[in-house]
This record gives sequence, C-alpha cells and structure tokens, in this order.
Amino acid sequence: MLLSNIGLDMIEAIKLCKEFKDKKRGVIKAVDQVSFTCQPGEVYGLLGPNGAGKTTTLRLLSTALKPTSGTARINGIDVTSDPQRVREQIGFLSGNTGLYGRLSAREMVTYFGKLYGMSTEQIAARCDKLFAMLDMNDFADSRNEKLSSGMKQKVSIARSVVHDPPVMVFDEPTTGLDVMSSRTIVEFIRRCRDEGKSVIFSTHIMSEAVRLCDRVAIIHLGKIYREGTVGQLLEHTGTDNLEDAFIKIVGE
Amino acid sequence: MQTRNVVTIFRKEMTDTLRDRRTLIFMLLVPLIAIPLLMLVTSRLMISQMTKAMEEKSKVVVEGAAYLPGELQDSLFSAEKLEVIAAADYQADNLTDEVREGNLAALVIVPEAFEQAIELESPTDIEIYYDEAEVESKFAVDKLQDILSPYRDRVVELRLQKRDIAADILKPFAVSEYNVASARKVAGKLLGGVLPYIIILMCFLGAMYPAIDLAAGEKERGTLETLLVSPASRGEFVVGKYMVILTTGVIAALLAMVSLTFSLRYIFTDLPQEVMNKLAISVDLQTAILVLMIVIPLAGIFAAILLSVSIFAKSFKEAQSYIGGLNMLIILPAFVSFLPGIELDYTLALIPVVNISLIIKEAVSGTVEWRYVFTAFFSTLALAGVALFFARKWFERESVLFRM
Repeated sequence: MLLSNIGLDMIEAIKLCKEFKDKKRGVIKAVDQVSFTCQPGEVYGLLGPNGAGKTTTLRLLSTALKPTSGTARINGIDVTSDPQRVREQIGFLSGNTGLYGRLSAREMVTYFGKLYGMSTEQIAARCDKLFAMLDMNDFADSRNEKLSSGMKQKVSIARSVVHDPPVMVFDEPTTGLDVMSSRTIVEFIRRCRDEGKSVIFSTHIMSEAVRLCDRVAIIHLGKIYREGTVGQLLEHTGTDNLEDAFIKIVGE
Repeated sequence: MQTRNVVTIFRKEMTDTLRDRRTLIFMLLVPLIAIPLLMLVTSRLMISQMTKAMEEKSKVVVEGAAYLPGELQDSLFSAEKLEVIAAADYQADNLTDEVREGNLAALVIVPEAFEQAIELESPTDIEIYYDEAEVESKFAVDKLQDILSPYRDRVVELRLQKRDIAADILKPFAVSEYNVASARKVAGKLLGGVLPYIIILMCFLGAMYPAIDLAAGEKERGTLETLLVSPASRGEFVVGKYMVILTTGVIAALLAMVSLTFSLRYIFTDLPQEVMNKLAISVDLQTAILVLMIVIPLAGIFAAILLSVSIFAKSFKEAQSYIGGLNMLIILPAFVSFLPGIELDYTLALIPVVNISLIIKEAVSGTVEWRYVFTAFFSTLALAGVALFFARKWFERESVLFRM
C-alpha cells in the first residue's frame, strides 16, 4: 500500500501559522507561513536553533496544537477539519517523551494500541513483532521505572509505532540521550524510511541532519529560509559544511 | 465521546494509581490506621489527664483555718483528695499569685468571725480563689464544695429545726428530668461532630495524589503530548481520569467511615453499655449507603477542581502547592459539623460541603430529613456537573496543556 503512494505528498504543510499571546511580549509568531512536503520513504529535517519554531510546527502537524491560519494534510487528511483521523496516521516521538514508570512496556504499548482503536489480538501480535525486532523481550514485562535509559528508549519507540502509522514525527528525538540510545533512535529512523514511511524530524544538531535527512529545511524565527538536499544547500551557499551554510542562509 | 476509550483510560489510570505508593498511603493507610491511632492516642491522653486531675491530691491553702468550726476543720484536713495547708505553714508573699502561677490549686479564705456569724445567724462568706483555665484548679473547687456544702445544709437543717419548721419547706416542688434521647442519638451526637469532617477530609485527601499524578504528573513525565496526539479525544481523557480521581476519593471516604465507627467503639469503652451497643449500629448499612450516596457527588466536585488545578500546574510540585492552599478553602466548611445547634434548612442544604457535612451528621444521629437530603444531593450533583464541564473546557485550552 505504501509503495503505491510513492510520489504523493504524504505530509503537506500549507502556509502554516501559529501565534501565541504572551503577556510581556504581545503576539508572537512562533510559526510563520511554513509550507513544505514530504513523500513516503523520505526523511525531511527541520534544522534550526532552539526557539526557531520546530517543535511548534511538529505539534501543528500532529494536531496537538491548532494552527492560527493555514493548514496541513497528512495522507490527504486535513489537520484542521479532521484531527482525530490525522492522529491515526501519525507516530510521535520526542526527546523528552517519558514513560509511565509503574507500567511495564507491554502494558504501556497495549494502552496506546487500544487508544489507537486496535483489537486485543492485533495488539498482542504487534507487541510480539516489535519486542522481537527491538530486542525487548527480556524486559517487556518489568516496570518501566526499573529500566536503563537505552531500554526506556526502546519502549518509547515501540509505543510510537504500535499502530504502524505511515507518517512518523520526531521532535528532537536524540536530545538528552546518551550515545547508545541516540544510535538506537537513528537506526530506527532509517528503518522507518526503509519501510516507506514519511519521516519528519527536527534537530539543532547539524551532523545529525547531514547523516539522516534526504531534504532539509532551514528554519529560523518561525520561517523556513531555504530547503533542499544537503548538497543543494552547500552548493547554494558555496560552503563545505552545513553549519556555515546555515549561518549564511539565516544571515541573508 | 466513545465509552470504549473512556473505559480504556479508566482502567489504565486505575492500575497505575493503585501501584502508586503515595496514593495508597492516603487512600488506605491514613483512614485505616492513622486516624484510629490518632483518635486513640488523643482520647487516652485526655482521659488520663482527667483522671490524673481527679485522683491527684489538690494542694489548697486555707487562710484562717482556725476560725472554722472543729467539725469542718476535721473534714477538710482529713479529705482524701485534698492536701490542705494552713496559711501559716505556707511560705509565700502573695497567696493569690501562687494560685495564678499554678503552685496552688486553690486558696480558701475564712473570715475571722465565721463561727460567731453562724451562731448568730448573720450572713458571712468563705472565699475560694481558683484558676478557671486550669482543670486541676476547677477540680479542687469541686472537692472543696463537696465538703462545704453538706456542712451548710446541716446548718440550715438545724436552724429550721430550732423554729419547728419541716425541712421540706425549702423544696416546695421537685423538678424531675427524664432523658428521652435514644441511645442512638446520644451515640450519633458523639460521632456526629467528628465523622462528617473526617469523611470529607479523607475524600479530598484520597483524591489529591491521583489528581496530581494524572495531570501534572503527565506533564512532568512528558507523557501528556503522546496522549494529545493519540486518537482518543481530550474529553475522553478528562472523563476517564476524572472517574479514577472520584473513585479514589469515595474509597478513602468510605474507609474513613468504617474505621472511625469501629475505632470509636473501642476507644470510648467507658461509655454506658447501652450507648456502646448502639454506637456501632449508628452507622448501620442503611446509614452507610446514604453517606456513600451523598459523598459521591461531593467527590465529583473535588475531582473536577483537583483535575483542573493539576492540569494547569507545570509540575508535581507546583500542583502540590496550589492544592495545599485549596485544601483549607474546601475543607474548612466541613468543620460546621463540630458547631452545636446548627440545623439544616433549605439555605444550608444548598451550600456545598456544608450541606454534606450536616447531612452526614444527621444521618449518624438517625434524624434524616429527606427533603434536605434531596436538596443537598441534587445541588451538589449539579455543581459537580458544572465543575466537570469546566474541567473539560479547561483541558481543551492550549495555553493550559502546553503551559510548561
């Protein structure tokens, strides 16, 4: 099913805007006229410093927040008119996502499976598959609070894909993680792409963007300054690394 | 709103909550162990202080003891529970100050011409100085009166005899008092003050930790966002979580009621047997069901308020400090059950918390008036509904959910 979608825009952001009211600073445009697309089997990166609007953009896509204006379509479904169905299309994982400490991995994945409308049998089969794939069988039934950070990361991953969504949203997924856990995440992102999922992910780490992204958008102060493959961005700016390219693009 | 999702959320949160040690402490340990223990210790302490004051010899100085008739002197100095000292044998500048400072239980002053005055049948008086604020001092006065009164009665009797008048003349008629209160009512009054307050307090405390954990806890753990991007609606999360908080509140209240009823039975063992037997029955099954029914909508108000405050807070700690302040505001009205003489009327039956407190008080005394029960029940239920409605609206505000 996913293969037949190649070439279609699985994620389509159309002039997304999000304003917040702040008591001291007045109205803040956290996201300003952001448009981009992402195809199945593609990893699209939002690259920008803290406070650039990456997290807000991803929250708009995942329907945690409602856009002030503009919209986005996920697998053809509009986030403003049918957020409930959009959520079924998306798996979400962020660097500060936590776990329910007093539940086990199996209980937690089952809980989310049910919330995504899956049947008990479907969930059980999915757990078996995911736990084997992520090598989690040894700790799938112990309480999450007793797990190491690497193990916890795997539980988070299993939770995010329990419903096998065509779109994955990663919000700074490696922030605060140690080397091993980061590696698990990076491998997981690659696997998602290989399975034909559309992956959008945000980061402020240049090397991560280079390593993973098929296309990158440079985002700053809520606006996308430029997008393209890493090669195109380097070529455009005449630099040989993404960091210099970033500074140059933002400075323009 | 899908029932299936609400049930899923309820079951998950209930499992999670019942594995939380803090919740268990407040929901089970406090009502079942801490409350009876506290009552036992305080009541024992009170009783032992009372008996100590009763049993202990009270130190009393008598100024002018020599002016008393020999008969009275004898009974004073030989009184079992009094240590009577003649003023001459007691070293002090000012005897009233000694009473004020607690060195003496009481000071008795006998006028010089006391005996002659009795003889001549002219008025005279014995002064007793004591400290009203001290139990011991008040007991001393009682003990002194126990000695002085019979003597005075005898003097009266002698004077009447001298005039050939029957002693009955002083009592033209008797006033007899008969207590018609049922033992249940007596028992109810005993329980009536404490029970409503403790039940309402425990209902709040039992709901408190789950409420903090289920909303502010989700923010702190970073799990809230994963819920918000799942297909279950925000309304379903509110209702599922709300039901869990309500349930823990009701369970805590119920346990408090049971443990209080039983512990009171074993604490006030010196009550008449008749009252004791009724004490346990005063919270019989019917009363328990009534109390439960009336506590449920109250727990509904608590749950909605706690949930709204908790989801607003950025962290566990912040939620705790907000709720700490709220605690006083919500629980204070429950104190009304301790005030004597407050009877339910339609106005009081409409005031939240106060109405429930008074109805529980009446229920255990067995004097329930159904029209007030219904008024209180439905007004509280309506209020709980409004509170839940606002909690739902509150949960849909991005500025609340993403207040990080």
